[in-house]
Amino acid sequence: MYKDFKGNKVYFSTGGINLVNDRETLCFVHGAGQNHYSFTQQIRYFVSQGYNVVAPDFPGHGFSEGNQTTSIEEDMLWLAELLASLKIEKATFIGHSQGCLTILELAEKKPELVRGLVFVAGAMSIPVNDFLIDTSIDNPEKAYDLMVTWGQDSYGSFSISDWPGHNHLAEGNAIMKLNDSSVLTTDLKSCNLYENGKQAASKIKINCLAVLAKFDMMTPLKKGLQMVENIKQCDYKILECGHFLPIEKPKELNALIKNYLNTLK
Amino acid sequence: MSEKYKFDTMSLHSGHVPDKETGSRAVPIYQTTSYVFKDTDEAAALYNMEVGGHLYTRISNPTIATLEQRLASLDGGVSCVACSSGMAAMHLVVTAICSSGDHIVASNKMYGANINLLQHTMTRFGIETTFVNPNNLEEIEKAIMPNTKLVFGEVIGNPGLDVMNVPEVAKICKKKNVPLAIDATFNTPYLMKPITYGANVVIHSLTKWIGGHGIAIGGAIINGGNFDWGNKEKFPTISGSHFALNGISFWEEFGPSALTAKIRAEGMYNFGPSLSPNNAFYILQGIETLSLRMKKHIENTKMMLEFLKENEAVSWLRHPDLQDHPDHKIAKKILPLGSGSIIVFGIKGGRDAGKAFIENVKLSSHLANVGDAKTLLIHPGSTTHSHLSSEAMKMSGLTDDLIRLSVGLEDIEDIKIDFEKGFKAAAKISSKRS
Ligand SMILES: Cc1ncc(COP(=O)(O)O)c(C=O)c1O
Repeated sequence: MYKDFKGNKVYFSTGGINLVNDRETLCFVHGAGQNHYSFTQQIRYFVSQGYNVVAPDFPGHGFSEGNQTTSIEEDMLWLAELLASLKIEKATFIGHSQGCLTILELAEKKPELVRGLVFVAGAMSIPVNDFLIDTSIDNPEKAYDLMVTWGQDSYGSFSISDWPGHNHLAEGNAIMKLNDSSVLTTDLKSCNLYENGKQAASKIKINCLAVLAKFDMMTPLKKGLQMVENIKQCDYKILECGHFLPIEKPKELNALIKNYLNTLK
Repeated sequence: MSEKYKFDTMSLHSGHVPDKETGSRAVPIYQTTSYVFKDTDEAAALYNMEVGGHLYTRISNPTIATLEQRLASLDGGVSCVACSSGMAAMHLVVTAICSSGDHIVASNKMYGANINLLQHTMTRFGIETTFVNPNNLEEIEKAIMPNTKLVFGEVIGNPGLDVMNVPEVAKICKKKNVPLAIDATFNTPYLMKPITYGANVVIHSLTKWIGGHGIAIGGAIINGGNFDWGNKEKFPTISGSHFALNGISFWEEFGPSALTAKIRAEGMYNFGPSLSPNNAFYILQGIETLSLRMKKHIENTKMMLEFLKENEAVSWLRHPDLQDHPDHKIAKKILPLGSGSIIVFGIKGGRDAGKAFIENVKLSSHLANVGDAKTLLIHPGSTTHSHLSSEAMKMSGLTDDLIRLSVGLEDIEDIKIDFEKGFKAAAKISSKRS
C-alpha cells in the first residue's frame, strides 16, 4: 500500500488488503539492504491468521521514496511516526537483522507502542566489516552477492527451496537490486554505529521471542544468544539455517511466531 | 554460508540434497497427484500461496520442483516453472502477460509453431504480433508500440540459424520498458544464458538438448527477476489485482518472482499444462551430463562442418560458426563456445536428391526432432513441406534441397560414412537430372 508520508511516497505491505480497525497489528521490520520482500512468506500468512500486517519499505528501499535514514535511532523514529500516521497505537514487532536493532531501540524509547517483540537472526549490535562496507560503495552488486552467499546456508548453494521453483541466491540478489544503490552502505553504517542495544535489551520488561540461525554468518549465533541473556524474559529457538531465516525456514518461523502471539493473548 | 557452485556442479546438484528420510542420493520420483495437509491451517496457506509447498501436481510437485530449481540456477534466474512442452511454456508466457488488445513484437525467423501460435492462434484472442527481422534493431524498435507487452525471439532460430543480437535487443526493450522473452532451446544455458545479456524471460523446450535423449517432452520458463512490472496500466495481469487470492498484486507481493507466481496461479491452475514427475526425472538425468554432451555436440558439429564443406554433393552450408554466415560476428560474441549443433545444408539435385539422401542413410534417423544424443535429419521438401511448390517453400524461407542435421554424439567417422552412402544415392539422382 502506498502512502504520502513526510512529503514522500512510501510503501508498506499489508498483504494486499486494507487494514482492519480492531485487529492486532504485526509490524515486520526488514534488515540492511532489504525490503518487504524479506517477509514474503510471513506477510500474507499472518494476514490470514487474522492480524493486520504492516511491513514497510524504509526510505530508499523497495518502493519507498525519500531520504534514507542514517542511524538506528532515525529508523526507529521514522517507523514510530509511520505507525502513528496509520493510527496504530500498539503492535507486535518482528525484526530481522538490522530490523532487530530498530525494534530494540523502539522498545526502549517508545515502550507504549510495543505489545510484543520477535527478534529474527538478531543481536544487540551488528558490527560490519570494512570490506563489506567498502564493497557496497565501490560495487553494490558485488556486495549484494557477498551478503546473499554469506547470508544463506546450503539452502542457497543447492537452490533448495520449499517454495517450488525458487532459486534463492538469485532471488536474494534481485530483491536487493530493487533498492536505491546507496542504501546498503547507509544501512551497514547505521548498524556499525549503533551502541545502545545492550542497554535497550536490558530494559525490556515484556516476554520476547528470539529465533536464531545456527549457521548465521552475519549476526553469529553467539551474539544472538548474548541478546537473549540480556533480556529478562526471552524464549529462543535455534533453527538449522543461515541468516536469511525467513526465506530459508518460513514454515518453522511462522509456527514459532504464531505460538508466541498466542502467549500474548 | 552458501557456495556459488559452477555450472557442472549445479547440473548435478542444484535443487536436491540426499533425501532426509531415506537417504536417496538420486532425485526421487514423486509419482503422486496430491499431498496430505498437516492441518487446515497449512491447507489454507498453500491454497492461498502464502507459503511455499505442494498441494496438487498440476501446480507443483517435488520432483518437478527439483528440475525447476536446477534450471533456474543454471540459467541464473530467480524462479522457474516447468511444464508439459516447449510450446506450453511459450503459451504460458504469452497468456500471463498479454490480454486482448495487446501487441507482441516477434522474430519472423522462429520455429514454425512459435510463429503459428502468435500469427494464427493468439490473433483469435485479440493479441496481435508484428513480425520483424531478428537482427534489424531499428525495425524492432520501430515495431514497439504503446500496447506492446512482449518482445520475443530465439537465440538461434529454427531452422534458419539466424542469431539474435540479444544484448542489443535487450537494451531496446529496457528503454521501452517491454520484457524480452527468449527461446533458448538451441543454445541451452551451457552455450549462452540470455538473462546475463539482459533478457527477462527464458523459454526452453526441454525436449531437445536439455533432456538430450529424445525420451521426454517438456518445457520451462525461467524468470530473470530483472523486470519492473510496476506499471499497473501497462501490466495489469502482473501488477494489477488478481481475480483470486484476495485480489493481490503479484508484483507487490512477490516482486522479482511475480511472473512465475502469476504463471503458477493462473496458467498452471487454469490451463493445466503440467509436466509428469517421471518426465521431470528423465530430463533431470539428462541435465546431469548437459555440459559433457554439449561439448561433444559442438566438437562433432565442427567436424561435420569440415566434412560437409569439402563434400561435392553439398551445394551450400549454413551454420553461425562459419565465417560466411550473416550473423557470424554476433554469434562469436554471444556464443563463444559454439553456436549449437544444428547444421543446415543444400544437397545438389534438389528435392528428389534430398529424398534419396534421406532414404539411404542408416545411422542418422529421419525424424521430427532435434537435440537428441543420436544424429537426426529432416528434409522438409519431402516431409513437412512436401505439399508446397519450390516457390511456396522459398516464401517461408526454405528451399527444396534443404536438409536440417542435428549432430549427435556418435563417433563422427561413422556418421560421415553414413552420409557418404546417402550422398552417393543423391548423386545418382542429381546426375540423371543433369
Ligand atoms: C526453438 C524451439 N522452440 C520450441 C519448440 C517446441 O518444443 P516442444 O516440442 O517441447 O513443445 C521447438 C521444437 O522443435 C523448438 O525447436
